[in-house]
Amino acid sequence: MATNLLTRATGSTAGQIWNPDTDDTLLCVDVHDETHDVKSFTFVSPERKSFAFSAGQYFMFELGIDGEDDGRCYSVSSSPLRPGAITTTVKRVTGGKVSNWLHDNLKPNMRVRASGPLGKFTRPTAKKFLFISGGSGITPVMSMAREMADTAQPVDVVFLHAGRSPRDLIFRNELANLAERLKGFRLHLLPENIASERSWSGISGRISKEFLSLAMPDIADRTVMCCGPAPFMMAARAIAAELGVATSNYHEESFDRAEIQDAPSPGGDAVKAKSFKVQFSKQGKTIVAGADQTVLSCAKKSGVRLPSSCANGICGTCKSKLVSGSVDMNHEGGIRQREIDAGFFLPCCSKPLSDLVIER
Amino acid sequence: MLNKFPSSITPLLDARVEGHSLPAGLYTRDDVFQADMDVFFSKHWIYVGLECDVPEAGDAVVIDIGNTSLIVLRDDDEQIRVVRNICRHRGARLLDAGATVVSKLVCPYHQWTYELSGDLSYAPHMGKDFDKSCRNLKAVNFQSIGGLIYVCLSDNPPSDIATLKKVMEERLAPYDVRNAKVAHEVDVIEKGNWKLTIENNRECYHCSANHPELCVSFVDLDFGFDPESLSPEDREEAEAHFAMYNERTTIWEADGFSSAAIEHTRDVETNFRTQRLIIAGAGESQTEDATAACSKLLGRMTRRDLGDMHLWGHNSWNHFMGDHAVTSIVIPLSADTTLVRTKWLVHKDAVEGVDYDLEKLTHVWVETTNQDAGLVARSHAGILDPAYEPGTYSKFSERALDDFATWYIERMRAHGY
Repeated sequence: MATNLLTRATGSTAGQIWNPDTDDTLLCVDVHDETHDVKSFTFVSPERKSFAFSAGQYFMFELGIDGEDDGRCYSVSSSPLRPGAITTTVKRVTGGKVSNWLHDNLKPNMRVRASGPLGKFTRPTAKKFLFISGGSGITPVMSMAREMADTAQPVDVVFLHAGRSPRDLIFRNELANLAERLKGFRLHLLPENIASERSWSGISGRISKEFLSLAMPDIADRTVMCCGPAPFMMAARAIAAELGVATSNYHEESFDRAEIQDAPSPGGDAVKAKSFKVQFSKQGKTIVAGADQTVLSCAKKSGVRLPSSCANGICGTCKSKLVSGSVDMNHEGGIRQREIDAGFFLPCCSKPLSDLVIER
Repeated sequence: MLNKFPSSITPLLDARVEGHSLPAGLYTRDDVFQADMDVFFSKHWIYVGLECDVPEAGDAVVIDIGNTSLIVLRDDDEQIRVVRNICRHRGARLLDAGATVVSKLVCPYHQWTYELSGDLSYAPHMGKDFDKSCRNLKAVNFQSIGGLIYVCLSDNPPSDIATLKKVMEERLAPYDVRNAKVAHEVDVIEKGNWKLTIENNRECYHCSANHPELCVSFVDLDFGFDPESLSPEDREEAEAHFAMYNERTTIWEADGFSSAAIEHTRDVETNFRTQRLIIAGAGESQTEDATAACSKLLGRMTRRDLGDMHLWGHNSWNHFMGDHAVTSIVIPLSADTTLVRTKWLVHKDAVEGVDYDLEKLTHVWVETTNQDAGLVARSHAGILDPAYEPGTYSKFSERALDDFATWYIERMRAHGY
């Protein structure tokens, strides 16, 4: 433990607040193994300023590995009511440059460039919550749960965390502790498979309508905060809608391009090597598209012509209406959130996550 | 000695007599229309729209002035920008007329892609050595005055816009027009020359006979009258009215609301007049019964009794009231057709059918604008008649027209005609 880093703030900076506009350096004071492939990194301000942020927000780290522009965003997992430090919790992603660098190289006493806090995924005022997270998507909702514990007020939260296997369940012990300690905090853990712990006594598998309606019959009354890989979030959104959760009560952390999940293909194993049917409603054509290719390139290969130009999500020439299905889109500003909300997408930078019907 | 005229229009300018309307050719000739577009719509500041026409990042609206097309947009930093609607590749129009939402400005022809700042960011198939930096969209000089967007298409815009800005930023502040909402918008094409549209707007001599709806709230005497032509009762009423003006203006000013008349209509480049006018009857708003049409007041207004802050420009008229505002833009289309674009503004959070009734909000100025279109067409048709000769302006009720005609001639000469 690097105790020399724990000198208290003295003199001029005592009581000062980290300024998001001018402060850009964090000092690492602790690295902690959460699971076999997840670590937590704790940072302080070099001047020991306090951090003012809301649970659910993230910081953008620019590590400058190989001199590249490689900004990655990591949600804060620590409680905003412990403002002396911030903790981010990062999963090592196969092929992910930044997460691997952090896991292999970041040690206490090192400084990194970071800006924040950023993001709007914060807890609205509500009486009853469902926090639903998949994998490392737990970080923002963990910050919220820790904050609730720190305020020591009665809560009504169902905390559902899904992971690949029991040994992948992040913060497992702390969550058990919270559930023990915090009145009105109900914990559900859902490993996809139990190979790493055959004695797992609960249900295993993926989130489903049946599981959620059994585990939380009053889900329709709850405000939902969801974070996880894109396919997980898509499934959760569909299930919640089916079980009567109003859109206005459903909030998810959208990892758009700026908030890159440090992964070779977002969604990871869940959609690997899959293919989907993509139907072009106006042309009456249906093609098969791989989950690892963009809709535009699959369409081109199959002889379906779509207007296009940049093929990079910059210009918006290929903008089309997505009648049904969902995609993983990584655009470069060629489409507005308002247009996405209205059901449009850019085929040139979107990979299918399900069968699609496109108005073309 | 040989008479040499700078232009074929000069004799028409010379023929204009002080106190009289303009010679026919200045209203009707195509070459004069071209000169008008050059002088009054390219070299002077003109009012083209509102910040609240583009309330959200990515909102854009196209405004055409003669052969010029402009894009007014709000960029991702929530800043207003005005750029010319012309691709730097081979000149194609980027956006179609009207309002739209854009993520980037992309030319439909060859997909040259511009950031909302106007910077060219993507030009396919132009080669590695192509220098994008000098191919940005052309920016236009513009000023937002209290949320009203004025542009000047020339590189040497008149500097006295500063006077207008100084006066109106203060007067418009409480109305917070920057954050208002356009509740309704109507385009009317008038069959007449733009100067007749403006002249018709500059007098209320015609009001009592032609604008029954407007006259409920608008006092025609405000823009002049001949005391001799009033009946004894009317004269008494007029005297009482002007006594009330002095009293109200004093009270308004004391309460911190600038109200006095400010006229910059002669010997200026940027032509404007403003004054806080009294609203007749119930005194609140220009509606059928002179009561407020919108229960949510504009901006930071807390009172309905602050009359009508009016503002004239050479291509606009505006009325800012406690509950709503009416703003009109005039854009000439040809020598004998003129676009009048009128917008009704309310507080941005006002909800139609809850806080205001659209019919009540718009009725008076929809009717008035249609009536005016008829009067302008009637006027233009008569001026085309060979029997037309310039007529005398009333020194009581048409002084503003004389000012406008005189300013028009001065500005034409100043620009070499």
